[in-house]
Amino acid sequence: METWLKYVIGIGMLLILGAIFVFTFILYHKMPAPKGCEDILPSEGKCHGCKEVGCHFNLYYNSKEEKKEEEETKHDDVN
Amino acid sequence: MTTVPYIVSFLLAIFTSMMINNVVLSRFYGICSFIGIGNKVKSSFSMGIAVTFVICFSALICWPLYTYVLNPLGIPFMDTLAYILVIASLVQIVGLFIKKFSPTLYKGFGIYLPLITTNCAVLGVVQGNTDSGLSFGMSMANALGTGLGYLVMICVFAFIRMKLEGNQTPKAFKGVAIALITAAIMSMAMMGLSGIGS
Repeated sequence: METWLKYVIGIGMLLILGAIFVFTFILYHKMPAPKGCEDILPSEGKCHGCKEVGCHFNLYYNSKEEKKEEEETKHDDVN
Repeated sequence: MTTVPYIVSFLLAIFTSMMINNVVLSRFYGICSFIGIGNKVKSSFSMGIAVTFVICFSALICWPLYTYVLNPLGIPFMDTLAYILVIASLVQIVGLFIKKFSPTLYKGFGIYLPLITTNCAVLGVVQGNTDSGLSFGMSMANALGTGLGYLVMICVFAFIRMKLEGNQTPKAFKGVAIALITAAIMSMAMMGLSGIGS
């Protein structure tokens, strides 16, 4: 088989896999959450140990912690 | 190979990947979810089951993909990209099933489910299977053993952490610090099994 053809098949295969991923991703995000789970937020207990920089739950948790610290500092200044 | 020795070597492979080469405590893969989720036994158990499921199905798809498509075509260097896409799709499918059929489980870790994609244990096992040239059966044994090893260790870890919460820990060691020390002691304990079979 020609070398260029192998690359074309390889890239085609990756595109198919990518398309499957996009399809499942859209399906997952379009499917409504079960009753009572519509507004689930990340829990502090679960996110506390994880230092995954790219995770948006961690970002949410960190911003929440920063706000708390700011409020505590303000409270101390007032006292 | 006759059936009985094959079954014995299959079971031995499961035991080896589960206990001796434990994915978390010996190979240090999947530490993030191990520390992050491993503070409640129930959510740890659910996470372990989901990771085991994803590892097994990834191995089931990725081994034939490498052996019958990527390698014969002479493009084995594309394996990591292909594996990542397979794992990511599988995680979405697992998420779909959980969302549809188990609201309790979804409530437990639904929003954390997509994070299994970034669990390096899954990619590590699949990549290790093809890099070491394992047969299909041994790849599946390795995947199953790794998943079970992860499941057992995350549950044991969660149980120890729950017990630790009730104890008086020095302030400097509270939270993640004592969790890491616990994981280190567990890892050293697992090293005691390293001589088995040699």
